[in-house]
Amino acid sequence: MAWNDVSALWQDIALTVLFLVPALLTGALVLRGYAPWPLVRAILWRFRGASALFVLLIAVSVGMGIGLLAQERGLRRGTAQAADKFDLVITAPGSELTAMLATVFLQPADMGLLDGATWDEIAGHDSVALAAPLAFGDSFGASAVVGTTLGFARYLADGQITGRPWQAEGEALIGALVPLEIGAEFTPAHGVGDAVDDHAHGDAHIRVVGRLGRSGTPWDRAILVPIETVWEVHGLANGHAPGTGRLGPPFDAAYFPGAPAVVVHSDALWANYALRSEFTRDRETMAFFPGAVLAQLYGVLGDVRQVMSLMALVTQALVAASVLLGLFILSRLFRRQIALLRALGAPARFVFAVVWCFGAALLLSGALLGLCAGVGTASVLARVVTARTDVLVAAPVGWTEIHFLAVFVSVTLLLSLLPAAIVLRQPVVQGLRS
Amino acid sequence: MTGGLPVSVSGLCVTGAGGRVLLSVSSLALPPGALVGVRGPSGAGKSTLLYALAGLIAARGRVCWGDTDIMPLSAEKRARFRAGNIGMIFQDFLLFEELGAGDNAALSALFLPRAQRRELRARADARLSALGLGNHAGRSVASFSGGERQRVAIARAMASGAPVLLADEPTASLDRGTADRLTADLIGLVRGNGTTLVVVTHDARLIDRMDRVLTIADGALVSDEAAPHGLE
Repeated sequence: MAWNDVSALWQDIALTVLFLVPALLTGALVLRGYAPWPLVRAILWRFRGASALFVLLIAVSVGMGIGLLAQERGLRRGTAQAADKFDLVITAPGSELTAMLATVFLQPADMGLLDGATWDEIAGHDSVALAAPLAFGDSFGASAVVGTTLGFARYLADGQITGRPWQAEGEALIGALVPLEIGAEFTPAHGVGDAVDDHAHGDAHIRVVGRLGRSGTPWDRAILVPIETVWEVHGLANGHAPGTGRLGPPFDAAYFPGAPAVVVHSDALWANYALRSEFTRDRETMAFFPGAVLAQLYGVLGDVRQVMSLMALVTQALVAASVLLGLFILSRLFRRQIALLRALGAPARFVFAVVWCFGAALLLSGALLGLCAGVGTASVLARVVTARTDVLVAAPVGWTEIHFLAVFVSVTLLLSLLPAAIVLRQPVVQGLRS
Repeated sequence: MTGGLPVSVSGLCVTGAGGRVLLSVSSLALPPGALVGVRGPSGAGKSTLLYALAGLIAARGRVCWGDTDIMPLSAEKRARFRAGNIGMIFQDFLLFEELGAGDNAALSALFLPRAQRRELRARADARLSALGLGNHAGRSVASFSGGERQRVAIARAMASGAPVLLADEPTASLDRGTADRLTADLIGLVRGNGTTLVVVTHDARLIDRMDRVLTIADGALVSDEAAPHGLE
């Protein structure tokens, strides 16, 4: 059976075992035929304070490594999930990354506008199931005020709206985390963040009529309003011929003031590719998949992740090495007992096994405790990152971390052969007389 | 009766740092089952003789226990020889405080082949009983008095049924009464088993119970005489 035919779970289990083989082999070879447990327990108990400290040190370093790795993957998944609803985005030509950050993550950016003719072409395309213009630039508190269509608001929240959808200009639907109540009124400020001008739209009053379901994206903190409202607040045409009183699409190209981005959803996957190709035009429009832009970003960061994993492993190996050095120093304290064992006729390998087991017990306890600490760290970090970025991050410890732990255990158990070997070289008579 | 081993020493020379001679014994022969005391001033080389007899120290010459000259053996083979033939007792007992008396006495079982462990444990229990600690095998030795601890150490040294017992100042850490009782028990046990006993001591009462007394001074064997029974 080829490796690729094996299920992912079994591949992960097999890899874990493979990584643990050096540790298991070392243990089997060192301990074969001996039962040093009572002595190891006795030594652990005698040096319980130092042992507990060593276990804690190892646990903290392992926990931090595991927590960070899990977190990094969680963040990657979370950001990818945030881009889920944005199959294809069409903007004026520019930076795909900037446009992606502006549309998916609502990061303020100066972007060119798409005109009415382009909008017509997109909205009227046969393959397009949903096209929604987005208008950024205003804010209320920490929330971006985004003008769009009701269709997009429903699509974003998977239809989950508490309260009611907007029915007129000057009404708003708020994201799940916006600190406003249904029925509240507010005046949007022009600009976002430091560049905000609170008084530019002084006469505009917007009333909250509904709340969208939680999406786990930065849009949970956004306030959605009819795009006509944004246009009108800025003194522009509202997308419809005067006197029609319409809200939402279709828009009249002649009265379409422009939108920085249009989100397009198509029911067929192939259609997305066709649309991207069709709307990628020099000096006119740029069409891109936010997921692909994120993937490119991850590709660049992928090397960093590998370096990070390696650094975490090296750091932990260093912590383990210093713990083993500590063990070696500690072993000077029980050199009389070690010498006694030799005087009683204990084979060198038995003495070696006792010292190695002592180190192994600390390393294994530290590693296991570190795994638990890692799960805890990852979950706390996930909460912090979720709170700070509004990207819902779940960071369960996965197989990568288990593999990482297996490598750590194997490397350190091999390393702990060293102090055991050094202890064995101490002269017996000096030990007995010390 | 397990019976003791005879020892013959010839041309034994132990040197320290810088080539200084720590101990030199040209010839010494002890019969099996002999109880031999080694006395002399501190630093004379008594313990060095004991360690040389145990094969724990690098030396020139011959130390033959029965037919086995332990000097040419590797450290590992000497350890194996000790495991089967030599029990050792130290002034400050060298017990594992965290273990019970029974576990301390049967310490060697931890590195013996599985098949021999049960037998060694049984013998360790029997020795503890013979030394009056039969009811205390499970108690941690941390709660034991000095005399009890040394009894546990004796049980440990004799648990393997070794034909030779080497003791380094076994009564030095005990008060007079305890030392006397321990001496009586120790001698009763080794005589009963026919064990060869070599004991380094300053304790005149212990010396008095020996068959032979060696005197070491300045790293040399200066006298080898039958014990002056009744001395002091």
